[in-house]
Amino acid sequence: MDFSFSEREEAFRREVREFLAASNPNTGAEGGEDIESAMDRLPKLLAWNQALHEKGWVGFSWPKDVGGGGGGLIEQMILKQECGSARAPMLGLSYMGLAWVGPGIVKYGSDEQKKRFIPPILKAEEHWCTGYSEPGSGSDLASLQCKAVRDGDHYVITGQKIWTSLAMWAQWMILLVRTDSSSTKHHGITCVLVPMNSPGIEVKPIRTMNGETPFAEVFFNDVRVPVANRLGAEGQGWEVTKHALANERSSIAEVTAMVHALEDLKGLAARCSRGGRRAIEDPFVRQRLARMETMIEAMRLTGLRFLTRQLRGEEVGAETSVNKLLRAELEVEIGRLSLEIEGRYGGLAKGSAAVVDGGRWQHQMLSWPAYVIGGGTPNIQKNVIAERLLGLPHD
Amino acid sequence: MEFGFSADQEQLRAQVRRFLDAECPLERVRTIMTSREPHDTGLWKKMAELGWQALVIPQQYGGLGLAWEDLVVLAEQAGMSLLPSPLLADAAAARALCAMGSEEQKERWLPSIASGETIATLAVLEESDDLSENGVTLEAASSPGGVTLGGRKMFVPWGQAADLFLVAAREGAGVSLFAVPAGSAGITVTPLKLVDATIRAAEVVFDGVVVQDSSRLGEKGRAWPALSRVLDAATVTLAAEMVGAADAALRLATEYAKVRKQFGQPIGRFQGVKHRLAEILVDVESSRSLVYYASWAVDHLEDARAQVSMAKAYASIALDRAGEDGIQIHGAVGFTWECNAHLYYKRGRVCRSIDGTPEYHHERLLACQGL
Ligand SMILES: Cc1cc2nc3c(=O)[nH]c(=O)nc-3n(C[C@H](O)[C@H](O)[C@H](O)COP(=O)(O)OP(=O)(O)OC[C@H]3O[C@@H](n4cnc5c(N)ncnc54)[C@H](O)[C@@H]3O)c2cc1C
Repeated sequence: MDFSFSEREEAFRREVREFLAASNPNTGAEGGEDIESAMDRLPKLLAWNQALHEKGWVGFSWPKDVGGGGGGLIEQMILKQECGSARAPMLGLSYMGLAWVGPGIVKYGSDEQKKRFIPPILKAEEHWCTGYSEPGSGSDLASLQCKAVRDGDHYVITGQKIWTSLAMWAQWMILLVRTDSSSTKHHGITCVLVPMNSPGIEVKPIRTMNGETPFAEVFFNDVRVPVANRLGAEGQGWEVTKHALANERSSIAEVTAMVHALEDLKGLAARCSRGGRRAIEDPFVRQRLARMETMIEAMRLTGLRFLTRQLRGEEVGAETSVNKLLRAELEVEIGRLSLEIEGRYGGLAKGSAAVVDGGRWQHQMLSWPAYVIGGGTPNIQKNVIAERLLGLPHD
Repeated sequence: MEFGFSADQEQLRAQVRRFLDAECPLERVRTIMTSREPHDTGLWKKMAELGWQALVIPQQYGGLGLAWEDLVVLAEQAGMSLLPSPLLADAAAARALCAMGSEEQKERWLPSIASGETIATLAVLEESDDLSENGVTLEAASSPGGVTLGGRKMFVPWGQAADLFLVAAREGAGVSLFAVPAGSAGITVTPLKLVDATIRAAEVVFDGVVVQDSSRLGEKGRAWPALSRVLDAATVTLAAEMVGAADAALRLATEYAKVRKQFGQPIGRFQGVKHRLAEILVDVESSRSLVYYASWAVDHLEDARAQVSMAKAYASIALDRAGEDGIQIHGAVGFTWECNAHLYYKRGRVCRSIDGTPEYHHERLLACQGL
């Protein structure tokens, strides 16, 4: 074991720090932020994206020939760590574009597709949404029904998607469709890149329990998409998706958001009074804060163990569900504990007089399902662990 | 940055595994655990031939000069086998000698510890079960012959097997540490009967035990800071054993879930069962990460208390759950003496409070941060 960094890596860390000292927009909005206020900050964020892009730090580990930074995994971690501790905004704004669409195109895309799609993702000029789930196909994604029929050099798409995050704002969708209904579940699925302004697409926002509309239903009425927009081969959609989702889960050493939430919770506990004393003096609160810290540290370290395995050229697969489950537990606990620390004030809604921290914790308490359910529920993660890591029989 | 074991460490792991599978399967553990002998001398000698007692002792004193993280590789495997042996208590005492002893003291004791001839153990905790410096009340009084020790130590790890006690004593305002041979006049060792019979501990009474000044390790009344770091290192190997035991409990229950059939299918197909097993795996892997890092931290960080506390707290919780659920997944079979599930459960229940409960370590973690 060796937790030190090489001279080159340390130099890189210094470079990142200097950059952050000069360019961190530090918009200060972390946690409990609603979509509307994120939109208000957009110009600043775009400038931030631009500055990062010039450094080659958006798409840091993507190959240089597609416009990425060609960087290594350790430097990428340093970059994330430093931006995290400086509470800087995300590394690049095209969230889904960077998390899985881009890596999918890098791996499966044609040269034209790479040229067409990668630069706007890096520059945050185009945003993506993900059309996987359907009303009848959530956890059982492979049962999806939305279908594409070939008509000359076009696919004609009919059907419905749901829970499509940011569908109202995205210019593009990475879409899974069934191109062969006679084939067994996984095989007849194809992945297509769809312009959201195509005629026949209808987007209906869905309101969630925190009052926001982060996702939508998307209807496809004979939507024509060129065959050239297919990502990977026909029928290869499941493989493309598995690769994409593996990429999502490989941001495994990322615990910054939770580290910050915990720091802030400790601050909250030091300020709030609970039964006549500061909450931080209450053993019940202390035990839970310490347990939370222990779980976050475990996540960070498990992430580093996986990262080391990746550096050694080993595959990391189902193991990442371990951290996903801890994350789910922590998201719920942050919401729970924060309101308990606030005591009676925990019942105040955002926007009320006397609400603590502008209602940030209430927002968390009403937003955890996004992390717990999105990307696969805990039950499904447990199935994955039990079946792939412990070898137990399939459901 | 590299958070993984080296090829040498992997080799050590494989060697330890092979040895324990051959020499200490659970049938053997069961024999040893019901034996009246203080420990299994045959096993002890064989381990000495492999150099296990010498692992973390510097080469100039006949040791192999490896790091604490190497010992953790061994400890995890030992925990998987529920190895009933003073090995890790002995290593902790050796670490105290290395950290606090004079050249003379090291030369006097370390080579014979390394060869397995001498079994050493730390005698720190007392009746109050207070892990802080205040908990040490056994008195060291100056006397014409040197120092006279008077008082009682509790839960001395493998005290009944030890040849040498490293005894923490109150001397003036502070705490001193003395190396005291077990055969010294005035020492009475009474074995304690633990719920987990795969580990042992003793009550040791020091009644007017006279020792030379030269048996004091380090300065008079100044032992606590160094001693508490040694105790932290010992806590890490304990936590590593617990992770190993939790993993073994998980494997045992998983194998059972694959073969036991009810309602026409293996019970491992039912999510009530498979999800519990997945949750145990999450606990095992998470606590494992913390333990590995803590094992590095005790050798490389000035203050590793936070890392140690997190490791011990999580390992305790992990083994507790693995032990309990391991029994449940076996159904009534799990309640029987013959089923091995209870061995892990008992290990968890007892080790949870050794070197500090999760609650204690949670508190300590926040205290480290000034909270
Ligand atoms: C905030 C958010 C954003 C999202 N964004 C997107 C997006 O951008 N694009 C997209 O395509 N999808 C998105 N989703 C959808 C998400 O992937 C699905 O909601 C999720 O996979 C679960 O599917 P479902 O909601 O249909 O629940 P269901 O699959 O109906 O599950 C309902 C319950 O049954 C349980 N269950 C189901 N099957 C099993 C089983 N085999 N064993 C045990 N329990 C089971 C589940 O755990 C759950 O508790 C998003 C979801 C959320 C919450």
